[in-house]
Amino acid sequence: MFINKSMCKNVVTIDKEAGIFRAREMMMEHRVRHLPVVDADNKLIGMVTDRDVRSAMPSLFIETCDIGEEKERLEKLRVEDIMTRNLITISPTYTLQDALLLMQKHRVGAFPVVDEESNKLKGIISVRDLMRSFINVLGIREPGTLIGVLVENKQGQMKKIIDAITEEKISFGSVLVSRYWDEGKRAVFTYLLTNTVAPMKRKLEKLGFEILDPMEWYLDQFPKKDE
Amino acid sequence: MKKTGFLHDDKYLLHETGPYHPECPERLKAVYKGIKDADFLSKLTLMEASPADQKWIERIHSIKYILRFEEACLYGMTEFDYPDNQMCNESYDIAMLSVGGILDTVKLIMEGKIDNAFCSVRPPGHHAEMNKAMGFCYFNNVAATARYLQEEWGIKRVGIIDFDVHHGNGTQHLFEHDPTVFYYSIHEHPSFSFPGTGREFEKGVGDGEGFTLNSPMLPGQGDREYKKALESDLFPAFYEFKPEVIIASTGFDAHIDDDMSGIALSTEGYSWIMKRIIEMADKCSDGKLLSVLEGGYCLPRLPELAKNHVEILMDK
Repeated sequence: MFINKSMCKNVVTIDKEAGIFRAREMMMEHRVRHLPVVDADNKLIGMVTDRDVRSAMPSLFIETCDIGEEKERLEKLRVEDIMTRNLITISPTYTLQDALLLMQKHRVGAFPVVDEESNKLKGIISVRDLMRSFINVLGIREPGTLIGVLVENKQGQMKKIIDAITEEKISFGSVLVSRYWDEGKRAVFTYLLTNTVAPMKRKLEKLGFEILDPMEWYLDQFPKKDE
Repeated sequence: MKKTGFLHDDKYLLHETGPYHPECPERLKAVYKGIKDADFLSKLTLMEASPADQKWIERIHSIKYILRFEEACLYGMTEFDYPDNQMCNESYDIAMLSVGGILDTVKLIMEGKIDNAFCSVRPPGHHAEMNKAMGFCYFNNVAATARYLQEEWGIKRVGIIDFDVHHGNGTQHLFEHDPTVFYYSIHEHPSFSFPGTGREFEKGVGDGEGFTLNSPMLPGQGDREYKKALESDLFPAFYEFKPEVIIASTGFDAHIDDDMSGIALSTEGYSWIMKRIIEMADKCSDGKLLSVLEGGYCLPRLPELAKNHVEILMDK
């Protein structure tokens, strides 16, 4: 669960002397939104994002400015003029959980990953890398079927569910728990690597569990009898 | 009235999947019973199983996979690639017979001896990938047929309509780069149902972009929503593509009484779908339509569904 397993290691970087048109080109060519700025020793100095570049460009709606003058100004602009210097960086020993929480806290799209002692750039982790990890955790790249089980918020429920499924020799793609569902309840989502789940659903119901019925939304559309 | 072929053979019952497996030999018995009890057999061109020329299987599966499957059967393994895929010694041979019988049948359509046909075969095929067995499927029957039509009969555009309740991941992946085979599937939404592919945004890759189309349906949806989706997605796309031959991956598992899915099609809903497909085949494919059985596990419902299916093909 350490960041160095999920981060992108072949980082596209840029020199601080480069022009902002070059930065824009590189972002388009590599389809990235963040370019770490490094020196000759691969030490991190800053980061330039697609938003930094766009903010530096004149607005489409401004018609009064002198285009020639504006062009000259932009051509002189270097990456170091627009890059962010006070970066939040993380080290390779940070965990995925750290990165997720930090991203939510600081509302940023990516963190450069640097070695704490040398300040050398080791990689970058973006929202997209975290999404890939999440798809991996869900297990949905493999064929399977989802069953949602509603359980009381008390000890031993998970064991019952896992045991019941394991007894049927069904493999798990993933098991996720949604902590907040109805009051006092949790929802356990088991992604099972099989095509045949109807007998499993009946078995869980016999054990006293409520199976989340995806058809409920559909029935909810119709007027209720007592209304 | 049309001349309709019907492929059925007791040899297809020999692919054994063990106790409690939904993809059981009784399925084909139920299909056969429905058609026999309706007194259709004398009006149909009856086809038998025959082994496929391996070259057609090699066109869609890697030789490594084919040999791996054969060896697994010879070795007596009862499970292949996933625990879902239960099998026996004979399974490899029966899978060969499945493809072979279908190719013989489609040959008659191309020779003009019959108009259309229903192939009641096991094991099914639409989940089978190039290198992997999946969801009770070993050889991708309809994919092999599409390649056979193109190479043996010079067909330029094949249209595949998959209305099994599960997405035909294998068929989609085999043709997603290929603009000459249009794959359309309507199925239960992949977030709720096996195999977890067939989302709306899967529309083909590279040159094949625009030649794959998926209509995922939510649990609880049935006739009304199926009609709407087919009218807005399938028919316009196929009328534009103009397939020279249409292959239907027919699954009866979207029926409300079938517990393999949450989709609630009625028996009448199934008839409506088939009628509209025939209508389209008449207009753009000179009536050339081959229906190949995929899923359908509700034994009490299979006779009537199969009977209606064949009756509509015969245009009685």
